Amino acid sequence: MTPLPPRPPLPAALRWPGLLVAAALAISWRVAEGDLGALFSRDGRRALGDFAAGFWPPAHSPEFLGFLVRPLADTVAIAFLGLSLALVLALPLSVLATSPWRVGGVGRAPSRARRAAWAGARALLTLMRSIPELVWALVFVRALGLGPAAGVLAIGVGYAGIVGKVFAEIFEGAPRAPADHLMAAGAPPRRAFAFAVLPQSAPLLVSYALYRFDCALRASAVLGLVGAGGVGAQLELSLRMLAHDEVATMVLALFALVAGVDALSRRVRRRVNALRGLLPVGPGALRPRLALLLLWLAAVACAAAWLDLPLGELLSPAALASAGAFFASTFPPALDAAFLRTVLPAAGVTLAVSVVGTALAAAAGLLLAWVAALPHHAAAAGEQLRPAPRAALAVAGAAARAVMNLGRTLPELLWALLLVFAVGLGPFAGALALALHTAGVLGRLHVEALEETPAEAFGALRAAGASAAGASLFAVLPQALPQLIAYTLYRWEVNIRASAVLGLVGAGGLGGLLHVSLNLFHHHRTLTLLGVILVLVVAVDLFSGALRRRVLEGARDAAAPAGPPLRAVVDAG
Amino acid sequence: MRRVSIAFAAVALLAALALPRAARAQGATELRVSAIPDESPTELQRKFAPLGAYLEKAVGMPVRFTPVTDYAATVEGLAAGRLDLVWYGGFTFVQARRRTGNAIPLVQREEDAHFHSKIIVPAGSKAKTLADLKGATFAFGSVSSTSGHLMPRYHLLQNGIEPERDFAKVAFSGAHDVTAKWVEAGKVEAGALNESIWQKLLDEKKVDPTKVRVLWTTPDFHDYNWTVRGDLDPKLVEKLRAAFLALDAKNPEHAEILKLQRATRFIATAPENYRAIEQAARSAGLIQD
Repeated sequence: MTPLPPRPPLPAALRWPGLLVAAALAISWRVAEGDLGALFSRDGRRALGDFAAGFWPPAHSPEFLGFLVRPLADTVAIAFLGLSLALVLALPLSVLATSPWRVGGVGRAPSRARRAAWAGARALLTLMRSIPELVWALVFVRALGLGPAAGVLAIGVGYAGIVGKVFAEIFEGAPRAPADHLMAAGAPPRRAFAFAVLPQSAPLLVSYALYRFDCALRASAVLGLVGAGGVGAQLELSLRMLAHDEVATMVLALFALVAGVDALSRRVRRRVNALRGLLPVGPGALRPRLALLLLWLAAVACAAAWLDLPLGELLSPAALASAGAFFASTFPPALDAAFLRTVLPAAGVTLAVSVVGTALAAAAGLLLAWVAALPHHAAAAGEQLRPAPRAALAVAGAAARAVMNLGRTLPELLWALLLVFAVGLGPFAGALALALHTAGVLGRLHVEALEETPAEAFGALRAAGASAAGASLFAVLPQALPQLIAYTLYRWEVNIRASAVLGLVGAGGLGGLLHVSLNLFHHHRTLTLLGVILVLVVAVDLFSGALRRRVLEGARDAAAPAGPPLRAVVDAG
Repeated sequence: MRRVSIAFAAVALLAALALPRAARAQGATELRVSAIPDESPTELQRKFAPLGAYLEKAVGMPVRFTPVTDYAATVEGLAAGRLDLVWYGGFTFVQARRRTGNAIPLVQREEDAHFHSKIIVPAGSKAKTLADLKGATFAFGSVSSTSGHLMPRYHLLQNGIEPERDFAKVAFSGAHDVTAKWVEAGKVEAGALNESIWQKLLDEKKVDPTKVRVLWTTPDFHDYNWTVRGDLDPKLVEKLRAAFLALDAKNPEHAEILKLQRATRFIATAPENYRAIEQAARSAGLIQD
């Protein structure tokens, strides 16, 4: 009897990971109140059309434009000061949070105090970055009063968490030989760090800090929604009053601002990356660096003066006592059953919104990226197209890039505000908002990943008669897939934070409850909600981090080229 | 070398720009006033301008109005001593009083002793009674609003409607005029707002009466007042109270102020007037101990 031939393996979508993902997506879709009718039914299309029509023409009276200057400048100043504060907080914390086993200490076990400092710094950084900056803003507005100071602190604390973690990773990734040599020659760990690790890491640190400025600007643009200064307050007001022409002007202004800063910081980053080290080698190298530092300090002073930050008042004993009293009054957290019965479903909605938003974004981002990369692949495969189809490809590619840029440039919360009005209140508006923003971010990354994929396979399939779509699907996508999945999972970690605050604008989930509890001075409930957000974010981080490692390990086994450091690439938003 | 000197020149220039503002921040003593943002901040500022000028003259010190976008911030501001005089709704006054223990309600408009909220629906709505609203989407104003949230919620509960259970969706529009706009535009199927602002929107033709109608009106309750910090100089408090009480509609200058405040005149008020609001807030679950 001849043995049966081995059964071919089932396609990935039918094996258990695929089935689990599908089930999770389906449940999330239900919980997030996914409703295609809101977008594609006749009523839905009309509502969207009416909504969009109200944006034209944008408000352009001189008074309104003049009036916008101040809040826009405030937004920039808050972002700049917030990031400066974040750097000041992050640098010492990141040094402490750098693994003592990884840097310095060859053959020497780190002291107990050093290990405790390491664990403490890491825990503090996790706490700081797991609470979304808008929630920090809500809390600081309560503790310190309305105004830009709360915004600056919110960005400072929230971004210190992420910047500190990335800085620590950069230190850990620095080549260890120089530090090892110094220590072998008898240098104490601190000195080895200062002279061997820091100089090598400096260009990367500066480059990452600059790049974070774009993100801070986006964050700062929506802080006004909770009374923490900047253009967000006016934006929300105009939207609520259905003054869509004013909204259009502000959205355009923000788009220009963020895109401008983006371009500027990219240019500066390129120059910084070209530098060898930021620590001076001789007196000639010292002066320009000193001048830059002074310039930065002066800019900080100017931004603080422009915002009229009452530093003396903020640091007065009375203000500190009142902030302390606020935090003390939140203890203990509210844990009564009635309250928990409202919190748990809201946490479910927040999670579901993040899942649906990320999944939609992954699909839309891939589609956009594929369209955007079409001209590149056609050219790379050496196809000779007639002018008309080539022009069509170029136009489609450019249009896809424009959609991605628009989605990426505006923050999620702003999209949510707009969509709540377009498709109605509720979590689905929030999921769509996440999808729109994330599709822009992922799309751009996907384009890069697809364009980096070697074109030989594509050309071979085309030569064998495959259509362009088929060739991309089978020749380009599989090579780039692990990287794309890793990007998507990383964005999920970003989106769970965003999802937690969408409720502030009526898009469902924990943010809405937080808004109510803060307004009604139900401080114990506020603490519970902060705790739930923290747990949810950390849980998603751990889960998604484990998945990412598995996906990328699988890819490395298949000898795929290792991509650039993930976090540094995917944070763009 | 040239680039370094340019950088230093830029530093000097930036520093020079920053200084005048920093110097200005050390202001003289002034009366710091704010109001709950139950209407848009620009509207609040417009309403306050002549009253502010009048108070400035009456108390002999500069008056600065700070518009805010957040009800609770006015409560925190008074408690932290960052604000001296605030226009509160009944519920925010109760919150401020509970928070500070000594906030003094100074005066209220004559109308505020008998205030009402309206529940409005689009003109084409089939609803005839409150019970018909079950299953609808519903908008309150701000979470912290008396006439836009607390009292409508309290009376809905009294009528057997529990918003979170019985409405398809509960939203907070943030302000009364926004609620009216949302109902008019069909964004929600019903909404609650303050009768005085409803009347103003009708008078100023900012809402189209052929598109929105009133479904129900609440029984009357005490609402808005002007409140001062408990530790403000008692002489200043008396001057302020006297200034408000002296406003007289027969004086043309005063008439303008009163008209913007939508008041016939101001009358003295006391914490006891807001006990019923506190009770309602407790029973609606908005105040917890």
